[in-house]
Amino acid sequence: MRSRPATFSAALHRLGLNRLLLHMILLIVSTITAAPYFWALSTSLKLRRDVFTPVPQWIPPNPTLQNYVDLFYMAPFGLFLVNTILVVSGILVIQLITAPLAAYVFARLRFAGSGFLFGLFLVQMMMPIHAVVVPNYLTINAMGLLDTRLAMMLPFWASGYAVFLLRQAFRQVPRDFEDAALIDGCSGLRFLWHVLLPLAKPTVIAFSLISVVTHWNDFLWPLIVTDSPAVRTLTIGLAMFVQQESGADWPVLMAGTIFVTLPLLLLFLVYQRKFIESFMYAGLKG
Amino acid sequence: MLKDRRLRYLGRSLLVVVAAVGLLVSQASAQGERLVRLTFYYPVGVAGPLARVVDGMVQEFNAEHPFIEVVPVYSGDYDPTMMKVQTAVRGGNPPDIAVVEISEFPTLLAMGAIIPLDDYIAQHPGYIDAFFPAFLDNSQFEGQVWGIPFQRSTPVLYWNKAAFAEVGLDPESPPTTWTELADYAQRLTTRTGTDVTRWGVTISGGWNDWLFEGFVRQSGGQLIDFHGQEVKFNSPEAVEALEFWVELMQGLKVGPPHSTWASTPPDFVAGRTAMLYHSTGIMTFLKSSADFPFGAAFMPANVTYGAAVGGGNFFIFKDIPQENQDAAWTFIHWITSPEKASYWSAASGYVAVRADAYELAEMQELVTEHPEYLVARDQLAFGHGKMMAPVYQRVREILKSALDDAQAGLVSPRVALDRAQEEMERTLRSWIQTR
Repeated sequence: MRSRPATFSAALHRLGLNRLLLHMILLIVSTITAAPYFWALSTSLKLRRDVFTPVPQWIPPNPTLQNYVDLFYMAPFGLFLVNTILVVSGILVIQLITAPLAAYVFARLRFAGSGFLFGLFLVQMMMPIHAVVVPNYLTINAMGLLDTRLAMMLPFWASGYAVFLLRQAFRQVPRDFEDAALIDGCSGLRFLWHVLLPLAKPTVIAFSLISVVTHWNDFLWPLIVTDSPAVRTLTIGLAMFVQQESGADWPVLMAGTIFVTLPLLLLFLVYQRKFIESFMYAGLKG
Repeated sequence: MLKDRRLRYLGRSLLVVVAAVGLLVSQASAQGERLVRLTFYYPVGVAGPLARVVDGMVQEFNAEHPFIEVVPVYSGDYDPTMMKVQTAVRGGNPPDIAVVEISEFPTLLAMGAIIPLDDYIAQHPGYIDAFFPAFLDNSQFEGQVWGIPFQRSTPVLYWNKAAFAEVGLDPESPPTTWTELADYAQRLTTRTGTDVTRWGVTISGGWNDWLFEGFVRQSGGQLIDFHGQEVKFNSPEAVEALEFWVELMQGLKVGPPHSTWASTPPDFVAGRTAMLYHSTGIMTFLKSSADFPFGAAFMPANVTYGAAVGGGNFFIFKDIPQENQDAAWTFIHWITSPEKASYWSAASGYVAVRADAYELAEMQELVTEHPEYLVARDQLAFGHGKMMAPVYQRVREILKSALDDAQAGLVSPRVALDRAQEEMERTLRSWIQTR
């Protein structure tokens, strides 16, 4: 690990950059990235007539929390939040059981047709949700699960993407580890649990975040399989404020956006380091 | 103290509920009728707490009809609503009632998803005749009525009176012809160097196909003759309309060639455009946001005034029990009564769908205070049904990309529309073959 900063600053030097310059660039980039979020926050605290001003106003001239009050008046956002959390975690928990098991098989075991089967998993990854909406709906309907939270989770319990990611991570663990574990009498599921999964932790966390974000933002499937507000999720509530014919009610829409994205933002801040690590993780060293 | 009052209130409302349930049960057993539960998909097309308004009307209906319970299901805006309807119908689980964008009517018809309503309509003499004829264009096929107008709008021209006064135009006289429109737009456009600081006129993008239909009507043409089963995308009238657009955007440079449906009302409010073509649905937004006087007018005429109406209609679905269809009709008939139509119009900004709604006292009051609401109604005399065809989403895309290409100056209006015509014919032919 000690070698990295050295090569890093060497690389910077080659590019003609020093740390100060680098920080300035990063500052600019992060300002650009964060600006829309702050703009949304600012809009959510404005009165309607203060939204479109000739000179952009970052600080609301007449700050108000009324938009948040209106938001909760128009739709049960608290309930939607609970539903979203239930659905998203319900999907993730099962995915974290099914995906490592499948990935372990594809990474470590050789059997007839394993390549073909893995190919099928990849095909699932490439299939857009729109292509399978009707068949999935028929299945859910046949199971009598329409208009339930389960209907929003079930189709995502097996994820080709998760299997693919974890298989790649598992394959980077050298054979020597497995041999060593085998000698100590640790094989199969125990090896998966005690050796592979801990080593693949950054991948697991990265996938978890991706899964959470994807299903947090999912709109079409929940809209189609649910009817009653009692089981519906945040994105459906948010969509009530984006209107096709008349444009949008911006302050309330932004209040909704802030409310919907805030939990994700907090989650990311907590797991930020792990998340970044997992993308830099380039196998074992030494 | 507060808590106390709340508790008492809760107690009292509980009592009311218990009493109502008791009444319901006793009535039900007395007449031996069963409760019919109806699923009602609805999109909300304009901003504001309209989901609440719909819920409120449904609750009122349910309270008045002890044997029918309508369950409103918010289904996104028009496109997601159509997807939800199609999936549910294919899945053998259709809703009982849905409000669907009017141009999707042929698709619903071709799917065999909906029922004709003539037998129901015949039960109420005079009922259907009260609707504005332009609103019924998108309901009829081969002599039968399949849909009932509900949330309906039409595009109008908004103008900024302050900007008119600033350049010496009469703030009370909007342009009435295309020639005046082009002339006024030139005077209203302001530039710093080559940068435009205020456009003369903005023809909103996004639903520009809908606005374009109006321009074609103003030239005396029509884009799709659904009843004659003919596509006329490259008719002389359509080419003339698109040439006028391109003249405004590329020739005179008094209108932006690109814009989105959601961004142009804010542009108008911020004074970045002096005139705006948009739906009547934004009236409420403009009123609450603009800090200058503005007006709404008929879209200027070429050989005539003209507009294509828009919005959503009620449909009743096939493959649901007869008693559900009957109850669905009871609901639709109730919610399109003059009283409810005027209430819905006042709450939403949509045009009231029937003429007699405007005779009611509360509607009279509203239009005396805000005469702009009458512009949309009066323009209906020159209104026509919106173009419709099966695979409507695809049809829209074809027309929109032709318009966008011509607006951007990439191809001439004639070439763009010739191509669109060709592609339309190919699309519809292959649709027929795959059926």
